[in-house]
Amino acid sequence: MHTPFKTSFLRTAMLTLLAAAPLFSACKKDNEDPTPDEDNEQITTVTYTLTPVGGGTPVVVSYRDLDGDGGTAPTIGTLSLAANTTYVGALRLLDETKNPVVVTSDEVKEESDEHLLFFEPTPANLMTVTRTDKDKNNLELGLETRLVTTAAATGTLKITLRHQPGAKNGTFAPGTTDVEVVFPTTVR
Amino acid sequence: MFIRFPGVPVVRLCLALLLVLSTAAATRAQNAAACTLSLSGRVADHESRADMPGATVVVLETQQATQTDNAGNFHFHLCAGLYHVRVSYLGYESETAELRVERAVVRDFQLHPDAVVLRGATVRGARVTAPVTQPTATLSGQALQQTRGEALGEALQKISGVTAIQTGPSIFKPMIHGLHSNRLTILNNGVRQEGQQWGQEHGPEIDPFIASRLTVVKGAASVRYGSDAIGGVVLVEPRPLRDSAGIGAELNLVGMSNNGLGAASGTLEGNLRRLPAFSWRVQGTAKRAGTMRAPGYYLKNSGFAEYDFSAAAGWRKDTYGVDAFYSQFRTQLGILPAAEVGNPSDLVLAIGRSRPLQTGSFSYDIRRAYQQVRHDLGRLTGFVRTGNAGRLTATISQQVDYRDEYDKNRPRNNNLAARNLPELSYTNRTSTAELLWEHQRWHNFTGSVGVAGTYQANRYATGSRQFIPFYTNTIGGAFWIERWQKDKWLLEAGARLDRRDLQVRRGDRDASGAFFVDRTRFQYTTPAASLGATYDPTTHLTLNLASGLTRRAPAANERFSDGVHNAQYELGYDLVPGNGALVPETALNVGLTATWHDNPRLNGELTLYQTRITDFIYQVPILPPVITIRGALISSQFQQTNATFRGIDAAGTYQLAPRWLLGAKGSIVRARDTRADEWQIFMPADRAEASVRYDFADQPGGRFSQRYVQLGGYAVARQTRVPADYAARDYKAPPAGYALLGLQAGTTVRWGRLPLEVSVAGSNLLNQRYRDYLNRYRYFTDEMGRNVTLRVRVPLELSRKP
Repeated sequence: MHTPFKTSFLRTAMLTLLAAAPLFSACKKDNEDPTPDEDNEQITTVTYTLTPVGGGTPVVVSYRDLDGDGGTAPTIGTLSLAANTTYVGALRLLDETKNPVVVTSDEVKEESDEHLLFFEPTPANLMTVTRTDKDKNNLELGLETRLVTTAAATGTLKITLRHQPGAKNGTFAPGTTDVEVVFPTTVR
Repeated sequence: MFIRFPGVPVVRLCLALLLVLSTAAATRAQNAAACTLSLSGRVADHESRADMPGATVVVLETQQATQTDNAGNFHFHLCAGLYHVRVSYLGYESETAELRVERAVVRDFQLHPDAVVLRGATVRGARVTAPVTQPTATLSGQALQQTRGEALGEALQKISGVTAIQTGPSIFKPMIHGLHSNRLTILNNGVRQEGQQWGQEHGPEIDPFIASRLTVVKGAASVRYGSDAIGGVVLVEPRPLRDSAGIGAELNLVGMSNNGLGAASGTLEGNLRRLPAFSWRVQGTAKRAGTMRAPGYYLKNSGFAEYDFSAAAGWRKDTYGVDAFYSQFRTQLGILPAAEVGNPSDLVLAIGRSRPLQTGSFSYDIRRAYQQVRHDLGRLTGFVRTGNAGRLTATISQQVDYRDEYDKNRPRNNNLAARNLPELSYTNRTSTAELLWEHQRWHNFTGSVGVAGTYQANRYATGSRQFIPFYTNTIGGAFWIERWQKDKWLLEAGARLDRRDLQVRRGDRDASGAFFVDRTRFQYTTPAASLGATYDPTTHLTLNLASGLTRRAPAANERFSDGVHNAQYELGYDLVPGNGALVPETALNVGLTATWHDNPRLNGELTLYQTRITDFIYQVPILPPVITIRGALISSQFQQTNATFRGIDAAGTYQLAPRWLLGAKGSIVRARDTRADEWQIFMPADRAEASVRYDFADQPGGRFSQRYVQLGGYAVARQTRVPADYAARDYKAPPAGYALLGLQAGTTVRWGRLPLEVSVAGSNLLNQRYRDYLNRYRYFTDEMGRNVTLRVRVPLELSRKP
C-alpha cells in the first residue's frame, strides 16, 4: 500500500460517511401520531323515519357503527310498525365521525342519477315499500318512500344503497353496494 | 476451441485443465527471453460481463499460453512486436485479436456464448461464480431474453419451483415453494428491495430490464440476507459496469398482440480511455399496455403503464473501488371493475357470471380503480482490499416506496371528488447499511463476516384511509459464514443474530366514535443458522445438501392490518378479539439437490425439499364475515398454525440428435397445516412443461445465424389438495386444470454491422379459456387468450476498436 492509494481511499471513505450521515438520522416526522382521516368518506349511520299518514308519532329506526368497519359491532334498532297503516318514509345517511357531521344523504340526493335504494321485506308480504322521488332522468331514487303494512307479522326489512355512476338504469345489477342494512321488523 | 474436436464428445473438464496447465508450464520454460513488455487483460462473458476464470489465452506467435485467474485476468511478458492472441473457453466462441506491443498493453476480451453449448453451460457457469450449497437457478442470456416485456414475477415463473400470486395481466407476486410476500427477499442490484408487502396484489417494484441475470435461491438463505429469506431469495443483477474503453449501447423492443403492449428499453454505457477506472451507465424503460383480451371478450380497465430509469457510475481500481446506483420505478395499473367487490351478494352475482358484466372494447386508458406506485432506490458501495487479508465492502442505500390506490368510485362530496385523491396513500422509507469483510483463503477456508442495519418508517397521507398503521422498524444484525473446500467437498456453515424493534402508532376509534392512538412496541432477537455441503462424486454430478433454521419476527401488516383494501376487509392477528400478540415463526428447512451437468446428452437437476414452519403466519378468508354498513364484507384475517411444505422441482434437457433438444420441467408442492391436520389453502397446483427445440446449422457468410424453433406445452393440474369443506373457506372452488401450447422462433440477423436478435413467440396458441387457482381474477374472468410477442434486441458498439 502506497500513499496515493491511502489518501484516495481515505477521501472516498470520508465522502461515503458524509453521504451516509442523513440516512441514519431518523426523520423527526417519524415520531408523529396518526390523525383522524377527515377527508375519507364513510357512512356510519342509517336512519329511517316513518310518519303515519293519518298523523301520530313517527317511528324511527337506525343502524349506527360509530367506530367504522370492524371493531365494536354496530347498534341495530328494531322497526315496530302498526298493522294496516300507511307511512311516509324518509331515509337519512350520516358520517358521524366527522365534525361537523356529514349528511351523506344530501350528497346522494345531489347525485341522484348515480344512486338507487332498494327496500326488501322478508317475508315479501310483510309490507309494501314504494319509492316516491325521482332523479333528473326520471328514474326512481328512494330517499323518499311510502310504506304500507297489512296484517300483523314479524320479519326483516333490508335497505340497500346501490352506487351506480354512469350505469344507473333502474335495475339492481350495475354498480356497487354502499349500504346494506337489515332491520328486524314487527308489525302489530 | 481447444477441447471441442469434431466428432469427439466433450472432453472432461479437469482433463482439459490438466492438459492446458501442462502445456502452459512447458511453454513458459521455453520463453525465458529477457523481453519484459507486459500484455495483460481480463476475460469476461459478453452477456453477463461476469469474470471468466480458467479461460485459455495463447499468444500464437510464441506459443505462450496461460489461464486466467479467479478474476478473469491474464498476464504475459513479451518482446516488442506484432502478435495474435487467441482466447478460448468451453462453451464460448474463441476470439483472436491482433495486437502491436510497443509498451505495456492492456487488452480485455469479451467472449460470446456458443449457441449450441450455451444451455449446458449455464449450470457450470453458476458453479464457477457462486458455489453455494442451496439450490439456485438462473435466467440469463437467451432464456432471459425470451421473457423481455414481462413483469419480474412473471419472468421468474420460467424457473421450476417458482410460481406467482397473480392479479390480472400486470401484477405478479413471486412465490417460491409455496412461500411468498414477507418470506421472500428480493435483492435489487445488491440492495434488499423494501416495497410494501402488505397486499397480495403488490408486485415487486422493479424493472426487469435492469437485469442481465435473474437468480433464484430456492430455500432459506436467511444467514446472508436476513430473517425474511425463509422461502428464498431473488437476485436481480445488472451486468458489471463496462471495463474496456469505449461506449456501447443496447436497445430492446417488445410488442404484444393481445393487449397491445409496447415496451422499449435502452442502455448506454461507457468507459473512458483516459480514465480507465471510471465507468458509467444509464438505462431507461417505457412500457404501455392496453386492455387484455380473454377468449371472447376484453377485460375492462386492465391496461397499465410503466416508466423506469436507472443510472450507475463506478470508479474501480485493483485495490479499491466505489460504485453508485440510482433507479426509479413508476407504474400505473388498472384494476378490473368486477374485482372491486366487497359485498358478498355482489360477489355471488359477479362470480356467477361467465364473463364480467362490463367488458367494453380495447383501450389504453386507465380509469378508476387503479394503483399508482413509485419506487426510488439510491445505493452507494465501496470496497477496499485489505492487504493480503481479504476484501472489505460497505453498502448504504436509501429507498422510498410510494403507493396510491384509487377506489372505483370518487367521493360523493364534489369538493373532495374534484381533488381526485387516492383512497389509500402510503409511503415507506427505508435506509440500509451493510459492512462485509470477505477473508482470503486460509488453509481450506474462505468466508465472510458482516454487520447489517435497517431503519424503516411507514406513513400514510392525511386523508388516506387507515389500513396499515404508522410504524418504525429498526433492525441490526451480524452474521458469519465460513466455507471449507477441499477436493470434491465443499462444506458451508453460517450463523446470524438479528435484533428487531418495531414501534407502532395506530389510530382507531372507540365504540362511541372517539379517535385515539394506540402505541405498541415489540422487540425480538431472532437467530438463524445454516449448514450445507456440496459433493462432486464425478465431474458430471454434483450433490448439494442445505439446511437452515430461521426465526422470523412478525411484520406490522401481519399484526395490525385493519380496514378495507381492494374492497375487502382485512384484519391483523393482534386485532382479532381474543387473540394475544403474534409470536415469531420458526422455520426448519432441508433441501437436497442433484445436478447432472456437462453431459453430452442428458443434463438436469432434481431438488427435494421440506420446510417445517412452527407458528406459520398466513391469511385466510374468515366466516362469518365482518358486518359493516355495506353489509357483510368479504373478510380475511391473519392466523397462526404449524405447517409443513414438501416438494420436488425437476428440470432437464436431452440432446436427442445433434440439432434437436428436448426439455422438461416440473414442480410439485405439498403443504399441510399440521395443527388442523388438513391441506394448506392457496398453494400452487402441480405443473409440468415440455419443449422440443431445433437449432439450424449456420451457413458460413449467411445473413442469419443462431436460428431456432421451439415448440412447448405447459400444463397445470387442478388443485385438489385444499382444506376440507372448501365451500365454507373460499368463494369459488379451485378451477380445472389446463394445458397450453406455445411456439417460438428466433434468429440473429446481420444488418450491416449490427447483429439484431429477433424472436417471435406465440402463447396460448389454441386461444383456450382457462383460469388459474393463484390468480385473484379467477373469480371473475378467464386468463389471457392467444398472444404473439415480437422481441428485438440491438447491441450497438459506438466506439472504434483500439
